[in-house]
Amino acid sequence: MRLCHISDTHFGSGSHFNRQVFVDSMLGITKEHFDVVIHTGDVTDDGRLEHFREAKKHFDELGLPLVVIPGNHDARSGGIAIFEEYLGPANGVKVIGDALIIHINSATPDNDDGRVGMVKFNLIKEALSSYPHLPIKIVAIHHHVIPIPKAGRERNILSNAGDLLDLFLRNDVDLVLSGHRHYPNVYKVESTVLVNAGTLSGRKTRYGDVNSYNLVEIEEEQVIVETRRIDGSREQKRYPRRCQSFFHDFGRRELRLVHMSNTMITEGRVFLKKAFDSAVNTINSLDADLAIHCGGIVYEGIPEDYNLAKRKMAKIKVPVLYTPAGRDTNYLGFHLFTQSFGPVTQQFANEWVHVQGLASFQYDTTIGIIGETERNTFFSKMRSVASAFRVMFLHHNITPVPHARERGLLEDSGDLLRRAVDEGIDLVLTGTSSHPNAMQVENTVIVNANSLSCIYQRSLFGNSFNLIDIYEHCLVVSEINSLWGARRIVGMWGRAQRES
Amino acid sequence: MSNSVPNIYDIDMPVRAFVTKRLIGIDSKKSVQDAAKLMVQFDISSLVAMEGEKVVGFLTDADIKRKVVAQGLPTSTTVDQVMESHLITIDIGTRVRDVLGVMSEKNIKHLLVEDRGVITGIVTFRDLIDIERHKLETYISRE
Repeated sequence: MRLCHISDTHFGSGSHFNRQVFVDSMLGITKEHFDVVIHTGDVTDDGRLEHFREAKKHFDELGLPLVVIPGNHDARSGGIAIFEEYLGPANGVKVIGDALIIHINSATPDNDDGRVGMVKFNLIKEALSSYPHLPIKIVAIHHHVIPIPKAGRERNILSNAGDLLDLFLRNDVDLVLSGHRHYPNVYKVESTVLVNAGTLSGRKTRYGDVNSYNLVEIEEEQVIVETRRIDGSREQKRYPRRCQSFFHDFGRRELRLVHMSNTMITEGRVFLKKAFDSAVNTINSLDADLAIHCGGIVYEGIPEDYNLAKRKMAKIKVPVLYTPAGRDTNYLGFHLFTQSFGPVTQQFANEWVHVQGLASFQYDTTIGIIGETERNTFFSKMRSVASAFRVMFLHHNITPVPHARERGLLEDSGDLLRRAVDEGIDLVLTGTSSHPNAMQVENTVIVNANSLSCIYQRSLFGNSFNLIDIYEHCLVVSEINSLWGARRIVGMWGRAQRES
Repeated sequence: MSNSVPNIYDIDMPVRAFVTKRLIGIDSKKSVQDAAKLMVQFDISSLVAMEGEKVVGFLTDADIKRKVVAQGLPTSTTVDQVMESHLITIDIGTRVRDVLGVMSEKNIKHLLVEDRGVITGIVTFRDLIDIERHKLETYISRE
């Protein structure tokens, strides 16, 4: 299967649409063989009839099978109805060759945010169920499900991105194609390749980049993604389609980490004292090297909660590193945190590992931010310890969490994720939204912790914390139930061997 | 089969979404004591027996109980002496309804899963019980 992925053409009469670039790009595309062309939305700049008409005329000239979905710009001016009249159903399923292509409209009228509601979520589920023997599964959706770098304020993703990503990963979707952010980006998450396209012909490119489109080839054992820019440059990435399935040679255990979050210690009913005390007993029996608390230590940043938290956390016999959540710093919390638990950025290092905290909290809000200056300082420091196994921890999640609306995400998660992956950070620990979740993005394993002892938690396994064992040859993440100590493996990944 | 299945199951879904795609294996020449230690270490009830990178058998905690301890065999007994080497596999696209059928017919609770002809995972009866939780996803997406 060889496909051409275009996006964000932005047909319009204003200065946003670059007609010459569109014509030149289409000329390049028509010279090659593709099984299908997939357009991931924002066909027009403002959803107007004449621009859909013009787009259709050009697309018809392609003479190739075409799948088009609307973007947020197409939903303006009541544009979805016109879109469907000229370009076909906004949602649907197509089988082209041996590939299943599910195309979903995530646009909401006159709103730049994306949403995939229950009916469309079920449509994807049913489509994935209905063609179990097709070897290639592709989903096209305008809004990206994983944060994109160089996109400025990066919180404008699908409200249920976590559930969608979980659905795609569980069903081994080979390829997820998106647009929206006008910046080309590729990640392999578990066995799914997520590809974002730049704008084909919009003038609003980012970070001095030029217009581009993607070429994707799905072969028996690998997926090849090539970004082709209008200036003639090409950037290619290749990914194996399969992930490592068997783990039998673990090697020696290098490090055992306890990873917890949202203890929410308080005298009130939200704090589950029994769950906390049982979890502490289990933690003390695990022979861990280090515990990391990813924030949400207290329910409120008030002296009563901090006094109790200090007494409670002191029962953990393993050294604990902390990073605050927004709620830990509310009211007097910032002062109380530093008095009780030390600086807001903490670290642990020995000859083998470097664990570094990153403060993402802001006063009086669940939304986090790192900022460019802090990010640069952080990665300079991590670069200076590049030979160590590098762990970064912060409160806010940088990949979407299932069963949670994306409201606590980091403002600049797109840049932080890209940087962590490109810098080869081995492990990222986060602690928002109280749902245990772990995935590998390229070679970086990203783990979110559930609430250890708060009534507000999202795991059907109950309140829990994570146990992370780093062996010579692999990394194993397990979730341990706070109350009963029962354990289940959340994920396992082979470790890339370092060059010495 | 379908009549006896409670309606909580999405029985017509392919089993793919419920397969554990990371398996812990053990060299088939190692002892059942090593196998038991590995099961305890990871709190799991089954292991894939391997020769190099090839899957040659399957060992459950019940096998150790039934074929080693109850028979009075030593803990040095090797995995390949007691493992199930007649591997029952299903394709990853098989519907849950049919997976339950195979489990019931063969009286087993674990099945190895093949994707494009290669063993890539395992599905257990317990995994299929967890299907109910997936209904939450769509409920939450109502927002």
